[in-house]
Amino acid sequence: MAKEISGIIKLQIKGGAANPSPPVGPALGAKGVNIMDFCKQFNGRTQDKAGKVLPVVITVYGDKSFDFVIKTPPAAVQLLEMAKIKSGSPESNRKKVASVSWDQIKEIAEDKMEDLNAFKMNAAMSMVAGTARSMGITVKGPKPE
Amino acid sequence: MNYIEVTIKLKPFRPFNEIVVAQLSGLPFDSFTEDEDEELVKAYILEGDYVQTDVENVLSPFEDLAKIKFTASKIEKVNWNQKWEENFDAVEVGEFCCVRAPFHVERSNFTHEIIIEPKMSFGTGHHQTTQMMIEHMESIDFTSKTVLDMGSGTGILAILAKQMGAKEVVGIDIEKWAYENMIENFDRNNVDITACNGGEELIAKIGKPYDVIIANINKNILLGQLPTYNSHLNTGALLLLSGFYETDVDDLIQAKELDGYALIHQITKETWCALKLRKGD
Repeated sequence: MAKEISGIIKLQIKGGAANPSPPVGPALGAKGVNIMDFCKQFNGRTQDKAGKVLPVVITVYGDKSFDFVIKTPPAAVQLLEMAKIKSGSPESNRKKVASVSWDQIKEIAEDKMEDLNAFKMNAAMSMVAGTARSMGITVKGPKPE
Repeated sequence: MNYIEVTIKLKPFRPFNEIVVAQLSGLPFDSFTEDEDEELVKAYILEGDYVQTDVENVLSPFEDLAKIKFTASKIEKVNWNQKWEENFDAVEVGEFCCVRAPFHVERSNFTHEIIIEPKMSFGTGHHQTTQMMIEHMESIDFTSKTVLDMGSGTGILAILAKQMGAKEVVGIDIEKWAYENMIENFDRNNVDITACNGGEELIAKIGKPYDVIIANINKNILLGQLPTYNSHLNTGALLLLSGFYETDVDDLIQAKELDGYALIHQITKETWCALKLRKGD
């Protein structure tokens, strides 16, 4: 029989940086989960993505056990990386200092379709391209059909 | 340590929820949550790392595209893990060692009994890596040895080393609360162990070479600290490493600092791994 689910928790944590402080501590602690066990597992599994923001979906079961799925970084985070812009720096915005290709947009859109609530690849690509433009990142060339 | 919760109200929410996270990820924020219904993003940072003008600087360029307002509030540190800690099972490693909380009944049928009240520190014996380290330690003669437990957490492995006859044991942890917690647990188990709060720089500062170094942390930290461990281990000394997966083992044992070390024993439990190495001449 499938285990009873007592809650689903969505967080974004930098790889290797889970610790029992907020938001991890209060969100998991309230459900009686051993926070330290989650932190050890999350950090163990994300050592090769240290410092990158990773969305994680944690399923907590009635017996206080849990499992979790780690997703790829948000599209905006991947765009900064592809455009080689340092996030958080003053130049990282709106000055059209960088560009990405449609191939790169497609690459992000492919693994983010579900998160973007997009049913068609074309729509997902348009959304990612829109995010890029809002960030001052130019998308090179005509959009492929 | 207290945390700062920065709440950012966004209109429109998408795609600025992601842009805000991307921008703030360049600052020392370590986690984020989103609430699409309330059009909020929350970002979390250590109180000491929070600079309001840094946040203003990375968000202000988007103000002509979206309404972005943020507020910051302090979250006092409490034991978020209390609910779990109030009612957990004792851990038994064969007949060799039992790890229990003060609220469990005393156990007499184990060679070693360790009493831990974790208060949000790593090391309750429940994790596979701690159990494997205990298994590695079972076959070591600690009599008159000097031992370092790096990333000591609750102090569980340091306490066991001392109970097994080590002459001198040092426990180091970078987290203040873990440092405070290990002192409580050393007292609770009536062992005389030196507790230190800090990182690997303390190893050089304390200076002595060790007969055994125990480190259950994670792959990246271990790789970074291997040179320091290596320069503070006597010839023939033992190095116990854990906190990583089976797939990480090659990266560790191929590290150049471990040239000349012999892998004596490797234990694997549910893909977690623990290594026992001996330093050669």
